[in-house]
Amino acid sequence: MSTEAIAAERPKRNYNALFGLTLLALLVLLWVILSVATPSFASANNISNLLRQGSMIAILAVGQTFVIITGGIDLSVGAVVGFATVIVAMLINAGVPIFLAILITLLVGVAIGLFHGFGIVKMGLPPFIITLATLTSLRGIGLLMTNGNSISINNDAFQLFSRSSFLGVPNLFWMVILVGIPAYIFLHHSRWGRYLFSVGSNAEASRLSGVNVQRTIYMAYTLSGLCAAFVGVLLASRIGIGNPTQAEGWELQAIASSVIGGTSLFGAVGSVHGPLLGAFILATINNGANLLNVNAFWQRIITGVLIIVIVYFDGLRRRGK
Amino acid sequence: MTSTAQELHPAPTLEPGRTILELKGLEKRYPGTHALKPVDLAFKASEIHAIVGENGAGKSTLIKLLTGVMPRTSGDVIWEGKPAALATPHEAMALGINAVHQEVVLCRHLTVAANMFLGEEDSRFGILQQRAMVREAQKIIDDLGFDLPAHVVLGDLTIGQQQLIAAARATVRGTKFLIFDEPTAYLTRKEADQLFTLIRRLKGEGVTIIYISHRMEEVFELADRVSVLRDGTLVGTRNIAETNDAELVKMMINRSIEQVYHKEHFTPGATLLEARNLSGKGFENVSMTVRAGEIVGLYGLIGAGRSEFVTTLYGRHRKSAGQILWEGKQVQVNSEHDAIRLGMALAPESRRDQGLCLNLPVGLNLNLPIYKRISSNLLISSAQEKAEADRQIANLRIKTPTRNALASSLSGGNQQKIVIGKWLAHGAKLFIFDEPTVGVDVGTKAEIYRLFSELLSKGAGIILISSYLPEVYELADTLHVFRRGKLVATHGFHTADHEEILTQALAEKQEKPGGQI
Ligand SMILES: Nc1ncnc2c1ncn2[C@@H]1O[C@H](COP(=O)(O)OP(=O)(O)OP(=O)(O)O)[C@@H](O)[C@H]1O
Ligand SMILES: [Mg+2]
Repeated sequence: MSTEAIAAERPKRNYNALFGLTLLALLVLLWVILSVATPSFASANNISNLLRQGSMIAILAVGQTFVIITGGIDLSVGAVVGFATVIVAMLINAGVPIFLAILITLLVGVAIGLFHGFGIVKMGLPPFIITLATLTSLRGIGLLMTNGNSISINNDAFQLFSRSSFLGVPNLFWMVILVGIPAYIFLHHSRWGRYLFSVGSNAEASRLSGVNVQRTIYMAYTLSGLCAAFVGVLLASRIGIGNPTQAEGWELQAIASSVIGGTSLFGAVGSVHGPLLGAFILATINNGANLLNVNAFWQRIITGVLIIVIVYFDGLRRRGK
Repeated sequence: MTSTAQELHPAPTLEPGRTILELKGLEKRYPGTHALKPVDLAFKASEIHAIVGENGAGKSTLIKLLTGVMPRTSGDVIWEGKPAALATPHEAMALGINAVHQEVVLCRHLTVAANMFLGEEDSRFGILQQRAMVREAQKIIDDLGFDLPAHVVLGDLTIGQQQLIAAARATVRGTKFLIFDEPTAYLTRKEADQLFTLIRRLKGEGVTIIYISHRMEEVFELADRVSVLRDGTLVGTRNIAETNDAELVKMMINRSIEQVYHKEHFTPGATLLEARNLSGKGFENVSMTVRAGEIVGLYGLIGAGRSEFVTTLYGRHRKSAGQILWEGKQVQVNSEHDAIRLGMALAPESRRDQGLCLNLPVGLNLNLPIYKRISSNLLISSAQEKAEADRQIANLRIKTPTRNALASSLSGGNQQKIVIGKWLAHGAKLFIFDEPTVGVDVGTKAEIYRLFSELLSKGAGIILISSYLPEVYELADTLHVFRRGKLVATHGFHTADHEEILTQALAEKQEKPGGQI
């Protein structure tokens, strides 16, 4: 091969890593600026708080990313989180052992994901529609189950988990690592991960190459449902209640994190570290804006502008300009 | 640059010999690829100028620069004596430069008529004159002698028919300079003849034509002059009367090929697959067997039901009647998965729609069917993944900077090599190749045919679909002819001549297909 060809290999291979580094640099930059701008930012308390805030969206964003890579979308994750808080709260209050209560809640998440897969694969519904339908109906079912009330969880051990830390790092952040590492291996080093990409790029070509397209789609939505139910458990632990209206709009934050992290809504482009960084960038902006007493309305505007800017630059670089 | 390119005398007053378009040091770099090194070339008014070259030589790139689809890196284009920027397709069209691109770039969900007038719709007071447009489009199509309806949705036509529509579309726009990039790749002989008639007529009307093809006989049939590109460099330009096949091939690939069609005959082994009175969508009552060590060729017009037949064997579509036997036992093939598990492999007809994940790396595309084999339980062996991809890239001489380049950045012929290459490492017993050498250059074709022999020698069987008669004729041990969904004739190796096979494929009489699609 000519020297030209070898020179071309470098940037291509490192593109993902490079984009990740850029995001990381952006995150660090934000932290430095905020530490200078407001003394309370760098306090141990605030950092733990920020990590807790970012962690739940980060986990949602990972599940969401699997779905987006296949060319789909999962609008239901916020509602699943709310619904899962209700399930886990009811189970614990009914005296079910914590471990079992969590397991059942996670299975509910899996079941919802399978339902999405069914709707898409067997009924031929667009992902946008089926997950939108779940979004509204799950909130309704949750409200019916609770009569519109919050359920306070009367189990201190359960709540203690999300408030404590291990090695000085909040447990919730450890959960990101617990999800992130297997997710990374799954997406980048297993054939299932390759299949997610190939289905997102061209389902027909994948099918003819022997990829089980239907199973791949089931898998993506199931993983997203599972991540959402897991976040529901964490949220219930953190706020100590089960309430179906919790986590309003989190699906959009998860999608935003994913997109900021370099995922393409057209499918076939994405990573695990990208959405994680994206989620913490969003959390930092919210946290910093709070500390700086920036009007909450402005926070939303800033987030919107940021999404446009980051995705625009990412697109420019991909086209190699 | 070359002596022949410069021997053009200063513009004579005679209209036809005049230079209409001139390239001066035209150059294009993509990131990582120097696709076109500075090229000097002049085109004369109303000549048919063929451009030939290996896959990835830069032919399509040249066309994209001339039609404003891509910006050039440097150099000048002189149009009728004046420099032209050619920054947008619109500008090129305004000058009268049009192209029929290698991959059809039309709107598949719109009707044929809507596509013909896309961007120049006929509207009165803001209201589209749909009926008038359909009528007008039908008139143009009939006038060109194409037997196609104007009111149907484009996506319902075969790729070949779409290509004809693309050609028809290019003729209605006040064209002075028309470029065809491998127009016959998906056409049957009959459609190709219609196209050639169109091209000659345009020439007669004073239009200059660039004609790109990998088929030498077409070049000799049509062209006045031919230019050869190799690795982005113009090797030379020849008057068609003063050159021959061998010389052009030599210029193209810098070595000579003794024999393109490499055919070894093996004693056929056990029967791998048998279809008994199989029917399904698009074909009816087809019976045939494929044995180990033989190539079974399927010839027919596009739309004759060959692709539908093999995709049904492969489990992509449901059969409506009949039986499939695999190694003597009756089997149910309900999905591609079943077929692959039995030992079949299919390289499909349309690389864009069925063959490739265009926005993913070459390596991933090549390994897609074999990830199961190269991963232990959960994890993929990345060493093996790289090795397998590199092996196929070397094997088929796929021209790509690295295995990590996106499939979309490869030239058409090199993309086609991926579609075939991905199955070579799979270890299947029956390979179904549907138009495997579409857009592939002559050197690589020879390479692919040699690989066929290799597969056969290992005890595999091959079903080869081709609309290019010489290919099936020279390679198939058994040749089945399809016509309108039926298997109408079967021949052994060279037991019938071209003429006879063509007649059988075309049917004695062409009934008018009155909106049959
Ligand atoms: N968008 C792109 N980005 C990067 N490289 C490209 C792009 N398009 C083409 N190339 C490269 O430029 C070179 C010339 O490609 P081109 O499509 O012009 O070849 P071609 O002569 O038309 O080949 P074929 O006969 O296979 O169609 C190839 O090496 C190809 O990989
Ligand atoms: Mg080309």
